[in-house]
Amino acid sequence: MPTINIDGVDLTVPTGTTVIQAAEMAGIYIPRYCYHPGLRIAGSCRMCLVEVEKLPGLQIACNTLVQDGMKVITNSERVRQARRGMLEFLLSNHPLDCPVCDQSGECDLQNYYMEFGRYRSRYFDNKTKRKKAFPIGPHVMLDQERCILCTRCVRFTEDVSKTHELGVFRRGHQSVIDLYPGRVLDNPYSGNVIDICPVGALTESDFRFQCRVWYLKEQHSICAGCARGCNISVHFNTDRRYKAQGRRVMRIKPRFHPEVNRWWLCDFGRFGHRYMDENRIEFFAEQKDGIRVDISCDEALGRVAQLLRGTLEEYGPSAVGIIVSPRLSNEELWVCRKLFVKGLGLHQTAAFDPWERPGFEDDFLLKADRNPNRRAVELTGFTADARELLEKAAEGRIRLLYIVHQDFAAPEAAELLQKAPAVIYQGTNWTRTAQQADLILAGAVHAEEEGTFTNFEGRVQRFFRCFAPIEESRDDLEIFRDLGQSLGVTVPESAATALKDWIGIDPDEIGEHGVLLSELSQVEA
Amino acid sequence: MPIVKLVSEFFGVEEARRLDWRLRHGGYEGARHALRDMTPEEVTEEVVRSNLRGLGGAGFPTGRKWMFVPKETTQPKYLAVNCDEAEPGTFKDRYIVEWDPHRLLEGIIICSYAVGIHQAYIYIRGEYVRPYHRLKRALEEAYAAGIFGGKVLGSDFSLEVHIHRGAGAYICGEETALLESLEGKKGWPRLKPPFPAVKGLFGCPTVINNVETLSHLPKIILNGGSWFSDLGVERNGGARLFALSGHVNRPGIYELPLGTPLRELIEEHGGGVWRGKRLKGVVPGGTSSGVLCADEIDVPLTFEALAEKGSMLGSGAVVVMDEDTCMVRALHNVEDFFAHESCGQCTPCREGTNWAYRILSRIVSGNGVPEDLDTLEHLASNMRGTSICALCEGARMPLQSFLTKFRDEFEYYIKNRRSMVSGRTPTTVST
Amino acid sequence: MSEGFTFTPENQKRFREILTAYPNRRAAMLPTLHLVLQQHGFIPPEAEPYVAELLEVPLVDVREVVSFYSLFIQERQGRHHLKVCCSLSCWLRGSDEVRAFLRENLGIPEGAVTEDGRFSWEAVPDCLGACELAPMAQVDERFEGFLTRERLEKLLQSLREETYPSQVEAD
Repeated sequence: MPTINIDGVDLTVPTGTTVIQAAEMAGIYIPRYCYHPGLRIAGSCRMCLVEVEKLPGLQIACNTLVQDGMKVITNSERVRQARRGMLEFLLSNHPLDCPVCDQSGECDLQNYYMEFGRYRSRYFDNKTKRKKAFPIGPHVMLDQERCILCTRCVRFTEDVSKTHELGVFRRGHQSVIDLYPGRVLDNPYSGNVIDICPVGALTESDFRFQCRVWYLKEQHSICAGCARGCNISVHFNTDRRYKAQGRRVMRIKPRFHPEVNRWWLCDFGRFGHRYMDENRIEFFAEQKDGIRVDISCDEALGRVAQLLRGTLEEYGPSAVGIIVSPRLSNEELWVCRKLFVKGLGLHQTAAFDPWERPGFEDDFLLKADRNPNRRAVELTGFTADARELLEKAAEGRIRLLYIVHQDFAAPEAAELLQKAPAVIYQGTNWTRTAQQADLILAGAVHAEEEGTFTNFEGRVQRFFRCFAPIEESRDDLEIFRDLGQSLGVTVPESAATALKDWIGIDPDEIGEHGVLLSELSQVEA
Repeated sequence: MPIVKLVSEFFGVEEARRLDWRLRHGGYEGARHALRDMTPEEVTEEVVRSNLRGLGGAGFPTGRKWMFVPKETTQPKYLAVNCDEAEPGTFKDRYIVEWDPHRLLEGIIICSYAVGIHQAYIYIRGEYVRPYHRLKRALEEAYAAGIFGGKVLGSDFSLEVHIHRGAGAYICGEETALLESLEGKKGWPRLKPPFPAVKGLFGCPTVINNVETLSHLPKIILNGGSWFSDLGVERNGGARLFALSGHVNRPGIYELPLGTPLRELIEEHGGGVWRGKRLKGVVPGGTSSGVLCADEIDVPLTFEALAEKGSMLGSGAVVVMDEDTCMVRALHNVEDFFAHESCGQCTPCREGTNWAYRILSRIVSGNGVPEDLDTLEHLASNMRGTSICALCEGARMPLQSFLTKFRDEFEYYIKNRRSMVSGRTPTTVST
Repeated sequence: MSEGFTFTPENQKRFREILTAYPNRRAAMLPTLHLVLQQHGFIPPEAEPYVAELLEVPLVDVREVVSFYSLFIQERQGRHHLKVCCSLSCWLRGSDEVRAFLRENLGIPEGAVTEDGRFSWEAVPDCLGACELAPMAQVDERFEGFLTRERLEKLLQSLREETYPSQVEAD
């Protein structure tokens, strides 16, 4: 374990650490473009040049291994001049599109210029012209003039996605990053190049011109797209409703997790957030003879309680079917169990759509199970799929179906549901299933709630509330609580109490990387 | 000092490139001696003793370079012969390959034996077509005579040699870019460390040597390292080929001992400046070495002496410029080359060479402004020591030295919108 | 295999020989592309997927190489191509005049091809390694130096008459 002195600070680091990494451990940020911890070292941008005692000239920090006794200076005049020099070189051919560039506000050319640049430009010649602002895939736009040739995107398509769409063509100042002619950047991880591009060369098409980044707020969350549970950050805008047709979620970015997703996120999770703002069930409603009438939440829950009590009294517990979903959070599943199974004594329960086709799985992030919380569903005892319940409902043996956040895409399911005597749907979007219900309860998406999911490894990870539920929709836990109250069943008050009830720990005890179930002593069933 | 005939011994002799003639005139005697009578370590020792230094441009002591290859390794070792001669003004390796290819092949055997290499690649630039054919035929003759293959010259040492043609990129003369090109990729130099001696071609220990460097080995082995070192001066062993061109009466190849004064090469051997003109400037070691003024040519041609003058011995390409040469256009010509040849991988070279070329183009077309000179100096200082490889340094040196030594011409050109020297319309080569 | 470009049977044999010189397929990239050049006169777009498949490398890697190296031209040149060296030594000894002559005599600027497809020419800043012959040009495969007006006129004449020995041998 060598010891290094950086800017006067002594630090012992693991063998194999580079100077740029050691500096970060010491809280010193060395500017860089081409270096990225998730990609192989390129050493080409030359921004991270530092002084290393006893070595002539400056050395790049990203490719210099820490040797015992090494002394590094990152803040000398020589280093500052080199940084300014490299910036000036990069800006010499840069179109300076800031007023129209989405990267503005989170651009490393801007940031480094403000911190290390601040020189008067002395470039008065023509700049190299390249292709501007064209789509290279369904989600990504490329502006070759803004590109500083850090090659992060190329290395990503070589080593991470291994799809080899991008390359550096030609030579010298005519070098240009581009697709192979005729190809498209359409691998399932294409969006990651947007994150790693330090400038506005690669940008998100969906986000283009939607909102300035300094207007964005952010909140930590977990992707609900599959069983991996990639750590994400939701970037949203709630103050300026005139932007993006009033949508709140502007974009999703990955958060680093050393085990689950590292720095990466798949395109399904990254770009599949429109459902949070579009086609939402915004009001509680009642549907009779094809006519839908919005009603208040109180009224709706009153009707639900009435239906449940009525059906139980007349036909008994086997006549009520509860269908939950692996898209519900740990807390919601636990409360469903407490309310429906333990509280009301219902035993006709199910959680899975038998017609759901698994997605494709790869050796990277995507899991075949496109639901975020199957583990918890199984652990809370909802093991069956819904076919039997739907058939019973169609035959009339089940008189009341209460479906929570579950959507059946298959026409067979719709046919069966059509014949069911009474259907209550609690969910977020106007899916076919929702449209077939008699009573619709407006629930919340997980970005509007706090809670946890359990991923495929059994890792419990927290997500936090970004904004209030849309219009008159409500947090599902609150719906269950109010329902419990009118039915005389006590259910946990909050997400925190629900989780503590289930696995015996407070959510605040869960660290930023989640906690594995296998490390917990108590998991209630 | 007189001209010597070491590697240039058979230049001009048409039969010398045929194996049968060459064998009758000492061909492969050095290699035979090494294989039969010396251990690999002894061979390396002689080369160290000889003070032979890399003659492609970098001037690193050859024997010492070989010693960086790890002795104990399970990996195959490689030799890459650098015949990607493209430094402007340089044509010496072409002469060796065209007139005496067997000398090079013999040197390859000696180096390979010393280091324990059994596979060698000769990287020859793509533009050299006739030299390639001559080399190919010499190699075929040698193979047919059992000189290469499983039993080199009848010994139990095996060595396979392949010729690999380049495709038009000066940067591939940089040793790690050469390796990348050999591996089938674009010629982007690698970061060092790791060094090629440890991790080179296909990730294996590799020696990269210039054609001329290897061609000296036969005589060094036959006559001994001290003989070679004594021919030269301290730390600069032996003699080397100088390629003289430009405004001289007798352009051509001159083999002279290291330490010969530059003036002697130009005036005595080269016949002096042509057309009775006066000397204005000299590029002493390929355009990467910058420029010397007429009053600086008494410098001895050694690595150290030229380095002291802020220049370098480099590839031994001496380009002479007469009094009518416009130094502004000369620098423009030089920077055009570097901008065209920069591989584009790293920031200072990709942007710096291009920016310098654009400014110089503007000056040459009569649209320069006084600030341009300060900007050029500023660029040069930011190009120093910041790049991945030495091409950037090669572009920087002439930028700095032409500007410093002939500043009055630049100032004149900017002020009067034309050259101080000649009135011709400037022409440029677009990159 | 892609349609549009394939090696002739002789070149397929040559390709197999090329492979034996290297421990992996990718390393055969440059010699394989030279073979394409030899067969076709330039590297057409269809050759790229063909080479990528032969060498078992991603398509984009072939294009990176083709677009990086000056000799891997992607458009057909004239039947005879003159590459005028304009590096320092040749410039000092009159490459500007050589260019002016060719512009006038061939009637086309640098980088163009004559209408009858017989000639194309270019002026390159790369030193071709024959400075003792300055000013020089590479004419097809051959180096031609000391290019005075007279020599250039004779040269062009022999090219027009198709008596010029374009290909070089070892001697």
